[in-house]
Amino acid sequence: MSVISVKNLCQRYGRGRIIYENLSFEVPQGRILGLLGKNGTGKTTTINILMGFLKPQSGECRIFGEDITAMSPQTRSRIALLLEGHVQYAFMTIAEIERFYSKFYPKWNRDAYYGLMEKLHVTPDQKISSMSNGQRSQVALGLILAQNADLLMLDDFSLGLDPGYRRLFIEYLRDFVKSEGKTVFMTSHIIQDLERLVDDCIIMDYGRILTQMPVKELMSTLRRYSYTDGALPGATDGIYSPWHTGNENEFYSFKQPNEVKQILSAEGIAAADLKAEAPASLEDAFIGLTGRY
Amino acid sequence: MTKAIFFKELLKTRRVFWLSLILALLFAVYAIMCIRRVSTSHGVEHVWLIMLMKDQTFIDAIKYVPLLIGIAMGWAQMAPEMQQKRLKLTLHLPYPQNRMILTMVTAGLLQLLVVFLVQALIIGIYYRGIITSEMTWHVMLTTIPWYLAGFDAYLLTSSICLEGRWRRRIALGLIALGIVSIYFMQPAPQAYTGILWGAAIFTLLLVLFSINSVNRFKEGQID
Repeated sequence: MSVISVKNLCQRYGRGRIIYENLSFEVPQGRILGLLGKNGTGKTTTINILMGFLKPQSGECRIFGEDITAMSPQTRSRIALLLEGHVQYAFMTIAEIERFYSKFYPKWNRDAYYGLMEKLHVTPDQKISSMSNGQRSQVALGLILAQNADLLMLDDFSLGLDPGYRRLFIEYLRDFVKSEGKTVFMTSHIIQDLERLVDDCIIMDYGRILTQMPVKELMSTLRRYSYTDGALPGATDGIYSPWHTGNENEFYSFKQPNEVKQILSAEGIAAADLKAEAPASLEDAFIGLTGRY
Repeated sequence: MTKAIFFKELLKTRRVFWLSLILALLFAVYAIMCIRRVSTSHGVEHVWLIMLMKDQTFIDAIKYVPLLIGIAMGWAQMAPEMQQKRLKLTLHLPYPQNRMILTMVTAGLLQLLVVFLVQALIIGIYYRGIITSEMTWHVMLTTIPWYLAGFDAYLLTSSICLEGRWRRRIALGLIALGIVSIYFMQPAPQAYTGILWGAAIFTLLLVLFSINSVNRFKEGQID
């Protein structure tokens, strides 16, 4: 069963540039899905649309089977939302914000929140506005965990966090999500973080989805091809990010080596020393599919 | 949940609430001192005479105080919601969204009501001690449009803060200026008594501006 279902979503910046057209994807229950894309490809826009903070120009989005344009409070109570930059009510203290949120969520888990707060060396009467970015991120995470929601939507959770806080965030989140069988839809600029966390990924380019598949499948089927003799191939169907570096040509493709050789020879490229290797990391795979700039 | 919303709103506005209360009290005391000065030097009869013959109320000092307090309350309550688009957090809470805005606005209006009532009561009680109940009522009716202007200023400031587009904010600002200035056009005491009920209903309807601003925010109408 799909927790999130997006069909033929179209969105533009005002009346100008298309952000995407006919975007369709689904997020199955119990999976952690990472939405990856360069700046400006529409990651935050997608989360804003899914949360009902932006009216899509056309298309249909459903969460838990409910149209997001008329989402009921009951459905919203099943979704924990982390805004970009870990935005929270900064005028509240650690204790006040817990007291406030607890009244809205029937499955509120106070211990999950205060368990995380104990790691921060802060006092309950400390104001969130007086905390560092890292501490604020943990307050936001603590509130999300305490909500005990069925779906977690996290927009660029790593923004502004140092490696220590990023690691703490990821470890806490991963343990929680895996033990409770939650569904997560998340974005991040730092792809190494997602590699440790996500089951599936959607890689977006300007205006379209390049691929949606489990990360393991992506890492085992995408190949980096390189050779030294011959010109670069065009970025035709199935050939991603052709690039010349030093005396080496490289590109990425899901195609098998024999298929790639046929494509290259059809373009008159010898590529006698053609090498195929798996991408070293999800970040390499991401760059391989979307290009360097 | 409603209590929790009130709790959040009070956290934002408590400082402005107490400052407003102090300001309202100071101006009430100042207005009383003005009357006392006249009554001490010329006698209470002279106060009566001026009130009856020259149609004076001696409380012009408090005229713009509710307006100022209304603007401050609206800003203190709604500006934090728009910083870093925190309104998204509020609207994501499992509570009907329009009711959420109405509850927030009610919290602000109730605080204003307390401040305005305290000020009006102090002035009213003092006047009742030196003049007749009819004349006291005459003074109180004169102040009501100023308090309505305070409520209007609060609701309009709220809608301006909740609006996401600058062009629209400016338009709302101009509308606010027009609406609020109506209450100060006629200087004569009790000039607005005939339209007070209509003005009160109109004031309540101004909450629609805030709901409209929030609905536009939800559609992504943000600069």
